[in-house]
Amino acid sequence: MIRMVGLGRAFGELWAVRNLTLDVHAGEVLGLLGPNGAGKTTTVRMLAALIGPSEGEAQLDGHDVVTDAEAVRSRVGVLTETPGLYEKLSATENLDFFGKLHGLDERRRREAIERLLKLLGLWDRRSEPAGQFSKGMKQKLAIARALLHDPSVLFLDEPTSALDPESAFVVREAIADLRSAGRTIVLATHNLDEADRLCDRIAFVRGTFLRVDSPARLRGDLGRFGVDVTLAPDAGSPAGVDLVSVAEAVAGVTDASARNGVLSVAFVDEGATPGLVRALVGAGAAIAEVRRKAATLEDVYFEVMGATPAADTLERDG
Amino acid sequence: MRWKLVRAVIGRELKEVVANRWLLVGIVLPPIALVTFPLLLGVFMPDDTLPPEFREQILRQRPEWAALSERELTGAFTVQQFLPYFLLMPAYVPLAIATFSIIGEKQSRSLEAVLATPIRTTELLAGKTLAALVPGVLTGWATYAVFIALGAAIYGPRLFGVVTDASWLAGVFLLGPAIGLVSTVAGVLISARVSDPRVGQQVGGVVIVPLVAVGILQATGTLLVGASGYVILATILMTLGIAGLRFGAWLFGRETILTRWR
Repeated sequence: MIRMVGLGRAFGELWAVRNLTLDVHAGEVLGLLGPNGAGKTTTVRMLAALIGPSEGEAQLDGHDVVTDAEAVRSRVGVLTETPGLYEKLSATENLDFFGKLHGLDERRRREAIERLLKLLGLWDRRSEPAGQFSKGMKQKLAIARALLHDPSVLFLDEPTSALDPESAFVVREAIADLRSAGRTIVLATHNLDEADRLCDRIAFVRGTFLRVDSPARLRGDLGRFGVDVTLAPDAGSPAGVDLVSVAEAVAGVTDASARNGVLSVAFVDEGATPGLVRALVGAGAAIAEVRRKAATLEDVYFEVMGATPAADTLERDG
Repeated sequence: MRWKLVRAVIGRELKEVVANRWLLVGIVLPPIALVTFPLLLGVFMPDDTLPPEFREQILRQRPEWAALSERELTGAFTVQQFLPYFLLMPAYVPLAIATFSIIGEKQSRSLEAVLATPIRTTELLAGKTLAALVPGVLTGWATYAVFIALGAAIYGPRLFGVVTDASWLAGVFLLGPAIGLVSTVAGVLISARVSDPRVGQQVGGVVIVPLVAVGILQATGTLLVGASGYVILATILMTLGIAGLRFGAWLFGRETILTRWR
């Protein structure tokens, strides 16, 4: 559906992104994850034929983003970072205008507007000026605008930034529904949880694609597995037995520590769990719960970006 | 040029103008004043207002007015002073709409969504220019129609001939729209560089200054521009306006609008 080969864009002498090479398949949700200024918006704008690349090429649905830009724009829906609505106009008037720009006839515009406003829960407010809407409602109206002409690909640029949790939830639900409907979506975000929940694959961006894979594989490839073993409150730990040493002696265990009745154990791989439980029970431990731990997308993010939260803070402060 | 898309832009722009009460008041008030003041002057002015030597000077410059009565001559001289204002209106109204339109889009950040559609920049600019220009020109023409109808009713039927002579017709129907075009293009170009509508209008007001100067010269009798003068001026301004539009279309590529109009 989308093909990028060595795509790059410079502003003056500064490269915003370079060497972007990737295929996005039909029905796939690709997340572009990276810090502010990483090049996510530039990538979206190039793929939506809003700005031209400085090098490389990209096709969308077989149409080149430079030589066939109009065809590309007629096939994409773009949700910009800010809703960018005409605030004096009603929800219906806003959508009707964009429907006209996409060349929809009156009947198709009317049907699409009614369907989308009902889908996104805005039908009852359709005649009110968009300026009177809450941030979440504005964002939903902007989503409706992006979907109006039934685009092949949907680009969502920071769809939940600057929204309160309730509005962000509503927008995420709307995106999840689109995903279920098999829509091809490129989601630029710096919200890790959002990317984890909504995306089939995640591309970490910082001037280029640093890493692209599914959220599960990204977490798995980090090689951080482990469990938290909660011991029974009264008789969990047998007298005279150092359970940390017992755990560390198990094959595949790389690290173990105990705190407040919970034994945290790190493995090379998940296969070490049965051996650990056997060893602990054999040493007399009364186990109340074994909870599996996996690397979070946040762990992956800092690993891939080559920074830690603390280091990042120091860098920014400095 | 796909006129369907241009019409869509014009329709949307005009809806926003109508929805903006203060902008609408700013557009509607000047025409009302322009019709009211000269006619009130005519109603309350005594018949022998013009000193004899001034009357002679007017008739030297306008020998075709010799047949007018004292009251009609006073009326003709009075309404003649207002012709420049009919030229100002097509300049003022489009300037207000154009600056509001582009700077409003910058402030609401609505342009990126528009540019993500298949519309071409020339179609977008044409829509914005026409949406600003047409109301200005139509307002000017409508005001002129009311002005000549009421003027003829108050001053008598012979004044109708004065305000519909060749210079008035050339001024209202040729020079006015030409001035409007230049004003709109100036509004578009200026608004692209500033982010406050007031600054846009103030800078754009500079375009109107030469017209005010012409008005003063006309009022003092220093310069009485005739129909041919208006036609020449209109031709020059139309050429300038069209060149400005082409320059704007060249200057405002999609990327420029997207990355610099903010």
